[in-house]
Amino acid sequence: MKKIVVRLFLMTLLVFGVIASGCIGGETTSTKQSTETSSSTTKTQVSNVVIYGYDSEMITLDPSIEFSNSIVTLANVYECLVKYTDKGLEPWLATSWESNDDGTEWIFHLREGVKFHTGNELTAEDVKWSVERTIRMGMGPAFIWDPVESIEVLDKYTIKFKLKYPANLPLIASSAYGAYIMDSKFLSQIGDDDAISNYLNKGHDAGTGPYMIAKYDPKTEIVFKKFDEYWGGWEENQFDTAIIKIIPDPALREQMVTSGEIHIAKSLPLDDIPQLQQNPDIVIKEEPSFRVLYGMLNTKKPPLNNKLVRKALSYATPYEDIVEYVLGGHGYVAKGPIPKGMMGYFEDLPTYTYDIEKAKQLLAEAGYPNGGLKLLLTYTQGDEAEGKVAELLKAEWQKLGIEVEIRPMNWEQQWALARSDPENAQDILLFYWWPTYPTPYDYLFNMFHCEEETLFNLCYYCNPEFDSLIDQAAVLEASDPQKAEQLYRQAIELLIDDAPAIFFYSPNYIYAIHKSVKGFKAYPAYPEVVFFYELRKA
Amino acid sequence: MARKFGEYIAYRVILAIFVILGVITVVFFVSRVVPSDPAGLWVGAHPTKEAIEKAREELHLNEPLIKQYFYYLSSLLHGDLGVSIRTHNPVAQDLKSAFTATFELILVSEFIAVIIGIILGVYSAVKKDSWLDNLSRILAISGVSLPTFWFGMILQLIFFKYLGILPLAGRVDSVVILEHPLKTITGFYLLDSLITGNIPVFIDALKHLILPAITLAMYPIGLITRQVRSMMIEVLQENYIRTAWAYGIPPKKVYFKYALKNAIAPALITVGLSFAYTLIGAFLVELIFNWPGLGRYAAYSILSMDYPAILGVTIIAAVAYVFINLFVDLIQVYLDPRIEL
Repeated sequence: MKKIVVRLFLMTLLVFGVIASGCIGGETTSTKQSTETSSSTTKTQVSNVVIYGYDSEMITLDPSIEFSNSIVTLANVYECLVKYTDKGLEPWLATSWESNDDGTEWIFHLREGVKFHTGNELTAEDVKWSVERTIRMGMGPAFIWDPVESIEVLDKYTIKFKLKYPANLPLIASSAYGAYIMDSKFLSQIGDDDAISNYLNKGHDAGTGPYMIAKYDPKTEIVFKKFDEYWGGWEENQFDTAIIKIIPDPALREQMVTSGEIHIAKSLPLDDIPQLQQNPDIVIKEEPSFRVLYGMLNTKKPPLNNKLVRKALSYATPYEDIVEYVLGGHGYVAKGPIPKGMMGYFEDLPTYTYDIEKAKQLLAEAGYPNGGLKLLLTYTQGDEAEGKVAELLKAEWQKLGIEVEIRPMNWEQQWALARSDPENAQDILLFYWWPTYPTPYDYLFNMFHCEEETLFNLCYYCNPEFDSLIDQAAVLEASDPQKAEQLYRQAIELLIDDAPAIFFYSPNYIYAIHKSVKGFKAYPAYPEVVFFYELRKA
Repeated sequence: MARKFGEYIAYRVILAIFVILGVITVVFFVSRVVPSDPAGLWVGAHPTKEAIEKAREELHLNEPLIKQYFYYLSSLLHGDLGVSIRTHNPVAQDLKSAFTATFELILVSEFIAVIIGIILGVYSAVKKDSWLDNLSRILAISGVSLPTFWFGMILQLIFFKYLGILPLAGRVDSVVILEHPLKTITGFYLLDSLITGNIPVFIDALKHLILPAITLAMYPIGLITRQVRSMMIEVLQENYIRTAWAYGIPPKKVYFKYALKNAIAPALITVGLSFAYTLIGAFLVELIFNWPGLGRYAAYSILSMDYPAILGVTIIAAVAYVFINLFVDLIQVYLDPRIEL
């Protein structure tokens, strides 16, 4: 019988081998690249490794296209001209920059002696080529360069941007998406834009960053090797090898970081945080994010087309309870639409606070003294926090006689519904916003500027006065920040009075760091990125 | 016989093509009728209108659905499964890596299940109502009824946290494979490391396989044990077995050679079908053991309505079901000459 079992087993193996190669055989050559890069570096001694446990798979590796979570990889192998930190704009590949008075011409002075991973030196030509390629391809994040009219190389280390209209170009150049500088001499040999894209997506890079991609397996792990000639230099106790490990299950990430199998883990189960804080092996780091959760109210459909009803809902929202119950206190109640740490956030802004009596009164004023309203609320399926917010709202608004139907949908479906006819769309839609680069205009324009065809203005709000205020403010952001801030404040106050959305909270990012690693710092402008270069062995 | 055999296989393969085509058609239209916006997914989180419009052009989304269906079929005929909207990778490439990961896991787990299931089944039939039989009954019933994810976590607790002898999750340790790079030949880590003589990776990959494979094997172990046991009890009462005893043939030979041969057919069907089922049904096991397999890929694709990927997974599943069924039928013929093709 044993013979039969063994024979069966072998036969099964054979048949499946045939099926496997038959139905998916066409691609055998293309997947090999990723592994070949690793086998070429035979027998590398791994003296020190840092591993970051991350929850989602990588998407693209082309800096001109990537508009998603692969920046956790890109930001370690590429660099922008400018870095946005908690102190504001800081030099990165550019050491200084200046503009003319109205902010329509910008000159950047590049850092000298910066080497790409290929050994080529960074010059102004590379900057021009990178930005022009992003604009030309017109994919995902290309719109950030919309103000740019032309780019002129003044000398090897100086570059001038001419703009179509005034804009804060250094801020744009600090964007986590679409602003990385690539090695033009090397990449232009590869072929046209698409050929370069394909080349990069196979796990190659052409940046100046402190690490190089050594192995790229977008579903399991990305291995980085240090770049010896990095312009910033290296210290004794930095890491030679860094790994991003894809681990979708939060409970598993937690177990792995407590056992030291990985060193940094993001988004752990909130209920376990207090316990982890007691763990001597783990340091919990909490960092503010630029994400804000909004409840977009359908201003085109009764009853929420009535401002009084919208205000009533804004008053009937238990902000503090939501932050406590949904985030476990790891975040803060939003003060208007803009998060902390950015222009347009005002600590003293008058916003709605929980006041159920006031809500009842407003509802009565609107002609619904006993409520009797039915509202449809949609949120992104699988987002536990949004689901909890929805439940809390339902319970709370019942007190006003408002019945809420909660409908979880996947994001694409929800978005498609919201972009259809507002008359048939949801009444309330929960969603997060975070900026492409940190400017209040990104929030206010996308979500609240008039739109002919709905894209992200999912409350269908349209107020020309608001539009003109933020448009003016955006232009003045660089040349006259005080004036810009004042205009933003006027616009935001107008917005709060019109109440087209409920501003719930901004969550903190929570990282668990194993005690063997120190020096971790999160930058909200580069969400979820761990800059491995800043880490040190403890 | 040979000619008949060939004809039969040809007939089944032609039938399979129609089945698979039907499945593709149904899944294509169902996944496209659901309101969703593939272009939105394609361009990333905060796209502009122009970017969405461009994506629509690229993905042929502005054209009638029926036309898109024929686009898909014609590229499928060229062996092109399209590009995943979520990962931007060719679906075939995504599937290949996910499939080999899952397949390696399933092979090992079914191997464990067949060996343990048959041995337990035979002995609990032979020693009916003994303590061994009772024990195997408990094992079988708990194997079928315990939630796999729970069982997997318990194994993780025992073998990783308390005993510290087996790794927690993943296919192979990052550092081990970094120090001993593995050349991909088949995509199966065990096989590749053996072929290239990469012993450290082989040992590490094997260690990583044990817990998820046992977790996944629990369900088929239960089924096989019970089926082999009940068939064996019947077979052991047959006249030819009594004859065998009378000839003085050693018990092991009687049980495993003469009796089992007649008792095993239904269990084999179970093995075959559980094979196909686990191919994409092992999502929870793959999640807790962080196994980059088909189940995880299928679940994420469905959640984001990534229709080329959903179709790709469907095709794999359909092909697997059809061929495993064919395979099981052929095995039965091989084992039992009384069955006609």
